[in-house]
Amino acid sequence: MATGRYTSDLTVGDELGPVRYTMSRFIAREYAHANELHQPCFQGLESPIAPPTLVHIDKLRLYKIACPAGAGPSARIHYEFDATMHEPVPLGTPIESRGKVVSRYEKKGREYVITDIEMRSADDGRLLIAYRDTVILSFKAQAERAGAAA
Amino acid sequence: MSHPAGSQFRTPPRPMTRERMRWYVDIQETVQADTGRIVTQPPTIHDDDAYAKKNGLPGIIADGMISTNWILGLLVDVFGPEAAGRGRLRTKYIAPIYEDQVITACASVKRVVHGATRDAVYELDVWCEDATGVKVTVGDAVVHAPAGGGR
Repeated sequence: MATGRYTSDLTVGDELGPVRYTMSRFIAREYAHANELHQPCFQGLESPIAPPTLVHIDKLRLYKIACPAGAGPSARIHYEFDATMHEPVPLGTPIESRGKVVSRYEKKGREYVITDIEMRSADDGRLLIAYRDTVILSFKAQAERAGAAA
Repeated sequence: MSHPAGSQFRTPPRPMTRERMRWYVDIQETVQADTGRIVTQPPTIHDDDAYAKKNGLPGIIADGMISTNWILGLLVDVFGPEAAGRGRLRTKYIAPIYEDQVITACASVKRVVHGATRDAVYELDVWCEDATGVKVTVGDAVVHAPAGGGR
Protein backbone atom coordinates (compact mmCIF):
# COMPACT_ATOMS: atom_id res chain seq x y z
CA MET A 1 0.00 0.00 0.00
CA ALA A 2 1.35 3.41 -0.98
CA THR A 3 -1.36 5.74 0.23
CA GLY A 4 -0.93 8.29 3.00
CA ARG A 5 1.44 10.77 1.41
CA TYR A 6 1.77 11.85 -2.26
CA THR A 7 -0.18 10.81 -5.35
CA SER A 8 3.21 10.14 -6.93
CA ASP A 9 3.56 7.29 -4.40
CA LEU A 10 0.44 5.46 -5.60
CA THR A 11 0.93 1.90 -6.75
CA VAL A 12 -1.16 -0.86 -8.32
CA GLY A 13 -3.76 -2.24 -5.95
CA ASP A 14 -4.08 0.89 -3.83
CA GLU A 15 -7.70 1.44 -2.89
CA LEU A 16 -9.01 4.96 -2.53
CA GLY A 17 -12.04 5.97 -0.50
CA PRO A 18 -14.92 5.66 -0.26
CA VAL A 19 -16.06 9.26 -0.23
CA ARG A 20 -19.68 10.19 0.36
CA TYR A 21 -21.51 13.40 -0.43
CA THR A 22 -24.78 14.61 -1.90
CA MET A 23 -24.89 15.86 -5.48
CA SER A 24 -26.20 19.25 -4.46
CA ARG A 25 -27.66 21.94 -6.67
CA PHE A 26 -24.67 24.12 -5.85
CA ILE A 27 -22.13 21.47 -6.90
CA ALA A 28 -23.83 20.73 -10.21
CA ARG A 29 -24.68 24.30 -11.21
CA GLU A 30 -21.39 25.84 -10.17
CA TYR A 31 -19.44 23.14 -11.99
CA ALA A 32 -21.62 23.59 -15.08
CA HIS A 33 -21.21 27.35 -14.89
CA ALA A 34 -17.40 27.13 -14.56
CA ASN A 35 -17.33 25.01 -17.72
CA GLU A 36 -19.81 27.14 -19.68
CA LEU A 37 -22.40 24.37 -19.70
CA HIS A 38 -25.45 26.60 -19.78
CA GLN A 39 -27.90 24.05 -21.16
CA PRO A 40 -31.27 23.78 -19.35
CA CYS A 41 -30.56 20.18 -18.31
CA PHE A 42 -27.75 21.55 -16.12
CA GLN A 43 -28.94 25.06 -15.27
CA GLY A 44 -32.72 24.89 -15.62
CA LEU A 45 -35.30 24.70 -12.84
CA GLU A 46 -37.01 21.49 -13.95
CA SER A 47 -35.33 18.10 -13.51
CA PRO A 48 -31.72 19.24 -13.79
CA ILE A 49 -28.94 16.68 -13.77
CA ALA A 50 -25.27 16.91 -12.87
CA PRO A 51 -22.64 17.06 -15.62
CA PRO A 52 -21.22 13.53 -15.72
CA THR A 53 -17.75 15.04 -15.98
CA LEU A 54 -18.06 15.83 -12.27
CA VAL A 55 -16.77 12.31 -11.72
CA HIS A 56 -13.33 13.84 -12.32
CA ILE A 57 -13.77 15.77 -9.08
CA ASP A 58 -14.39 12.47 -7.29
CA LYS A 59 -10.82 11.53 -8.16
CA LEU A 60 -9.63 14.69 -6.43
CA ARG A 61 -11.83 13.93 -3.42
CA LEU A 62 -10.29 10.45 -3.23
CA TYR A 63 -6.75 11.81 -3.68
CA LYS A 64 -7.31 14.32 -0.90
CA ILE A 65 -8.02 11.52 1.57
CA ALA A 66 -5.54 8.93 0.28
CA CYS A 67 -2.70 11.35 -0.54
CA PRO A 68 -3.04 14.28 1.87
CA ALA A 69 0.41 15.72 1.06
CA GLY A 70 -0.61 16.45 -2.55
CA ALA A 71 0.88 15.65 -5.94
CA GLY A 72 4.44 15.11 -4.76
CA PRO A 73 7.70 16.77 -5.71
CA SER A 74 6.37 17.97 -9.07
CA ALA A 75 3.09 18.64 -10.85
CA ARG A 76 0.76 15.87 -11.99
CA ILE A 77 -0.74 16.12 -15.49
CA HIS A 78 -4.15 14.74 -16.44
CA TYR A 79 -3.76 12.69 -19.62
CA GLU A 80 -7.02 10.85 -20.30
CA PHE A 81 -10.67 10.99 -19.23
CA ASP A 82 -12.78 7.91 -19.95
CA ALA A 83 -16.26 7.80 -18.45
CA THR A 84 -19.12 5.42 -19.10
CA MET A 85 -22.39 6.93 -17.98
CA HIS A 86 -24.93 4.31 -16.87
CA GLU A 87 -27.62 6.69 -15.62
CA PRO A 88 -28.16 10.43 -15.34
CA VAL A 89 -27.28 11.83 -11.91
CA PRO A 90 -30.22 13.94 -10.66
CA LEU A 91 -29.59 16.69 -8.15
CA GLY A 92 -30.01 15.50 -4.58
CA THR A 93 -28.59 12.02 -5.26
CA PRO A 94 -26.49 10.71 -2.37
CA ILE A 95 -23.16 9.59 -3.85
CA GLU A 96 -20.54 7.06 -2.79
CA SER A 97 -17.37 6.85 -4.85
CA ARG A 98 -14.40 4.51 -4.62
CA GLY A 99 -11.22 4.20 -6.60
CA LYS A 100 -8.54 1.63 -7.27
CA VAL A 101 -5.14 2.07 -8.88
CA VAL A 102 -5.10 -0.52 -11.67
CA SER A 103 -1.91 0.28 -13.55
CA ARG A 104 1.35 2.15 -13.23
CA TYR A 105 3.82 2.03 -16.10
CA GLU A 106 6.49 3.94 -17.96
CA LYS A 107 6.25 4.78 -21.65
CA LYS A 108 8.64 6.97 -23.63
CA GLY A 109 10.20 8.13 -20.39
CA ARG A 110 6.92 9.20 -18.84
CA GLU A 111 5.29 7.53 -15.87
CA TYR A 112 1.54 6.90 -16.07
CA VAL A 113 -0.96 5.93 -13.37
CA ILE A 114 -4.42 4.58 -14.21
CA THR A 115 -7.17 4.69 -11.62
CA ASP A 116 -10.64 3.18 -11.94
CA ILE A 117 -13.37 5.06 -10.09
CA GLU A 118 -16.98 4.08 -9.58
CA MET A 119 -19.60 6.67 -8.71
CA ARG A 120 -22.62 4.91 -7.19
CA SER A 121 -25.87 5.89 -5.58
CA ALA A 122 -25.24 5.66 -1.84
CA ASP A 123 -28.89 4.65 -1.35
CA ASP A 124 -28.85 1.35 -3.20
CA GLY A 125 -25.40 0.95 -4.73
CA ARG A 126 -26.54 1.52 -8.32
CA LEU A 127 -23.61 2.24 -10.61
CA LEU A 128 -24.05 5.72 -12.07
CA ILE A 129 -20.69 6.37 -13.73
CA ALA A 130 -17.64 4.16 -14.25
CA TYR A 131 -14.56 6.28 -14.81
CA ARG A 132 -11.00 5.44 -15.85
CA ASP A 133 -8.52 8.24 -15.19
CA THR A 134 -4.97 8.41 -16.53
CA VAL A 135 -2.39 10.84 -15.19
CA ILE A 136 1.28 11.47 -15.95
CA LEU A 137 3.50 11.78 -12.91
CA SER A 138 6.75 13.65 -12.44
CA PHE A 139 6.03 16.18 -15.14
CA LYS A 140 8.88 18.41 -13.96
CA ALA A 141 11.39 15.60 -14.05
CA GLN A 142 10.33 14.90 -17.63
CA ALA A 143 10.74 18.52 -18.63
CA GLU A 144 14.18 18.63 -17.08
CA ARG A 145 15.23 15.46 -18.89
CA ALA A 146 13.92 16.83 -22.15
CA GLY A 147 15.81 20.05 -21.54
CA ALA A 148 18.97 18.19 -20.68
CA ALA A 149 18.69 16.15 -23.85
CA ALA A 150 18.12 19.18 -26.06
CA MET B 1 -33.64 15.41 -36.83
CA SER B 2 -31.34 12.43 -37.46
CA HIS B 3 -27.61 12.70 -37.99
CA PRO B 4 -26.20 10.19 -40.50
CA ALA B 5 -22.63 8.95 -40.43
CA GLY B 6 -20.30 11.69 -41.59
CA SER B 7 -22.28 14.51 -39.93
CA GLN B 8 -19.97 17.00 -38.23
CA PHE B 9 -20.65 19.50 -35.47
CA ARG B 10 -18.50 22.34 -34.15
CA THR B 11 -18.75 24.91 -31.39
CA PRO B 12 -17.90 28.52 -32.12
CA PRO B 13 -14.16 29.08 -31.51
CA ARG B 14 -13.28 30.22 -27.97
CA PRO B 15 -9.99 31.66 -26.73
CA MET B 16 -8.61 29.73 -23.77
CA THR B 17 -8.19 32.78 -21.63
CA ARG B 18 -6.45 32.94 -18.27
CA GLU B 19 -9.86 33.43 -16.69
CA ARG B 20 -11.31 30.28 -18.24
CA MET B 21 -8.34 28.31 -16.91
CA ARG B 22 -8.80 29.77 -13.42
CA TRP B 23 -12.51 28.96 -13.41
CA TYR B 24 -11.63 25.26 -13.57
CA VAL B 25 -8.95 25.63 -10.91
CA ASP B 26 -11.32 27.30 -8.47
CA ILE B 27 -14.26 25.02 -9.18
CA GLN B 28 -12.33 21.98 -7.98
CA GLU B 29 -12.13 23.10 -4.35
CA THR B 30 -15.46 24.90 -4.56
CA VAL B 31 -17.51 21.80 -5.35
CA GLN B 32 -15.63 19.67 -2.84
CA ALA B 33 -16.30 22.17 -0.06
CA ASP B 34 -19.94 22.69 -1.20
CA THR B 35 -20.43 25.69 1.10
CA GLY B 36 -22.24 27.89 -1.38
CA ARG B 37 -19.11 30.06 -1.73
CA ILE B 38 -16.15 30.04 -4.12
CA VAL B 39 -13.10 28.34 -2.57
CA THR B 40 -9.70 28.93 -4.11
CA GLN B 41 -6.70 26.60 -4.00
CA PRO B 42 -2.92 26.99 -3.85
CA PRO B 43 -1.04 27.87 -7.08
CA THR B 44 -1.24 25.36 -9.93
CA ILE B 45 0.23 25.01 -13.42
CA HIS B 46 -3.16 26.21 -14.67
CA ASP B 47 -3.27 29.59 -12.95
CA ASP B 48 0.20 30.59 -11.75
CA ASP B 49 2.94 31.47 -14.24
CA ALA B 50 5.79 31.10 -11.76
CA TYR B 51 4.57 27.69 -10.61
CA ALA B 52 4.11 26.54 -14.20
CA LYS B 53 7.65 27.64 -15.13
CA LYS B 54 9.02 25.94 -12.03
CA ASN B 55 7.50 22.75 -13.43
CA GLY B 56 9.20 23.07 -16.79
CA LEU B 57 6.39 24.74 -18.74
CA PRO B 58 6.68 27.96 -20.71
CA GLY B 59 3.55 29.29 -19.00
CA ILE B 60 0.19 28.24 -17.64
CA ILE B 61 -1.71 25.52 -19.51
CA ALA B 62 -5.41 24.67 -19.46
CA ASP B 63 -6.75 21.75 -17.46
CA GLY B 64 -7.77 19.08 -19.95
CA MET B 65 -11.19 18.83 -18.36
CA ILE B 66 -12.12 22.19 -19.88
CA SER B 67 -11.78 20.61 -23.34
CA THR B 68 -13.74 17.58 -22.19
CA ASN B 69 -16.54 19.78 -20.89
CA TRP B 70 -16.66 21.85 -24.07
CA ILE B 71 -17.08 18.59 -26.02
CA LEU B 72 -19.79 17.46 -23.59
CA GLY B 73 -21.59 20.77 -24.12
CA LEU B 74 -21.45 20.28 -27.89
CA LEU B 75 -22.93 16.77 -27.59
CA VAL B 76 -25.76 18.04 -25.37
CA ASP B 77 -26.47 20.86 -27.82
CA VAL B 78 -26.70 18.37 -30.69
CA PHE B 79 -28.34 15.34 -29.07
CA GLY B 80 -30.09 16.77 -26.02
CA PRO B 81 -29.69 15.93 -22.32
CA GLU B 82 -29.49 12.21 -23.10
CA ALA B 83 -25.87 12.85 -24.10
CA ALA B 84 -25.15 13.56 -20.42
CA GLY B 85 -27.15 10.64 -19.07
CA ARG B 86 -26.15 7.41 -20.75
CA GLY B 87 -23.22 6.57 -23.00
CA ARG B 88 -19.51 7.15 -22.98
CA LEU B 89 -17.07 10.01 -23.34
CA ARG B 90 -13.33 9.50 -23.69
CA THR B 91 -10.84 12.31 -24.22
CA LYS B 92 -7.06 12.27 -24.42
CA TYR B 93 -5.02 15.45 -24.05
CA ILE B 94 -2.35 15.11 -26.73
CA ALA B 95 -1.00 18.67 -26.66
CA PRO B 96 -1.02 21.42 -24.06
CA ILE B 97 -3.37 24.38 -24.54
CA TYR B 98 -1.65 27.65 -23.70
CA GLU B 99 -3.11 30.98 -22.72
CA ASP B 100 -5.26 32.63 -25.42
CA GLN B 101 -5.05 29.71 -27.89
CA VAL B 102 -8.33 29.67 -29.79
CA ILE B 103 -10.08 26.32 -29.39
CA THR B 104 -13.02 24.72 -31.21
CA ALA B 105 -14.74 21.58 -29.92
CA CYS B 106 -15.81 19.19 -32.69
CA ALA B 107 -17.70 15.91 -33.15
CA SER B 108 -18.19 13.65 -36.15
CA VAL B 109 -20.67 10.77 -36.40
CA LYS B 110 -18.87 7.49 -37.20
CA ARG B 111 -21.83 5.13 -37.01
CA VAL B 112 -25.51 5.09 -36.09
CA VAL B 113 -27.24 2.00 -34.78
CA HIS B 114 -31.03 2.03 -34.56
CA GLY B 115 -32.46 -0.15 -31.80
CA ALA B 116 -35.74 -1.99 -31.58
CA THR B 117 -37.24 0.85 -29.52
CA ARG B 118 -36.43 3.35 -32.28
CA ASP B 119 -33.76 4.86 -30.08
CA ALA B 120 -30.47 5.48 -31.85
CA VAL B 121 -26.96 4.88 -30.60
CA TYR B 122 -24.44 7.29 -32.09
CA GLU B 123 -20.73 6.54 -32.16
CA LEU B 124 -18.66 9.65 -32.65
CA ASP B 125 -15.12 10.91 -32.94
CA VAL B 126 -14.65 13.97 -30.77
CA TRP B 127 -11.79 16.42 -30.60
CA CYS B 128 -10.67 19.96 -29.89
CA GLU B 129 -8.55 21.81 -32.40
CA ASP B 130 -6.66 25.08 -32.38
CA ALA B 131 -7.05 27.97 -34.81
CA THR B 132 -4.81 26.24 -37.36
CA GLY B 133 -6.81 23.01 -37.24
CA VAL B 134 -4.25 21.09 -35.19
CA LYS B 135 -5.90 18.65 -32.79
CA VAL B 136 -4.97 19.18 -29.15
CA THR B 137 -7.55 16.82 -27.60
CA VAL B 138 -8.87 13.63 -29.23
CA GLY B 139 -11.34 10.95 -28.23
CA ASP B 140 -14.64 9.28 -28.91
CA ALA B 141 -18.15 9.21 -27.58
CA VAL B 142 -21.25 7.05 -27.52
CA VAL B 143 -24.61 8.80 -27.23
CA HIS B 144 -27.95 7.09 -26.72
CA ALA B 145 -30.45 9.43 -28.35
CA PRO B 146 -34.23 9.13 -28.39
CA ALA B 147 -36.16 8.44 -31.57
CA GLY B 148 -35.51 11.21 -34.00
CA GLY B 149 -31.82 11.33 -33.27
CA GLY B 150 -31.63 14.38 -31.02
CA ARG B 151 -32.18 18.03 -31.84
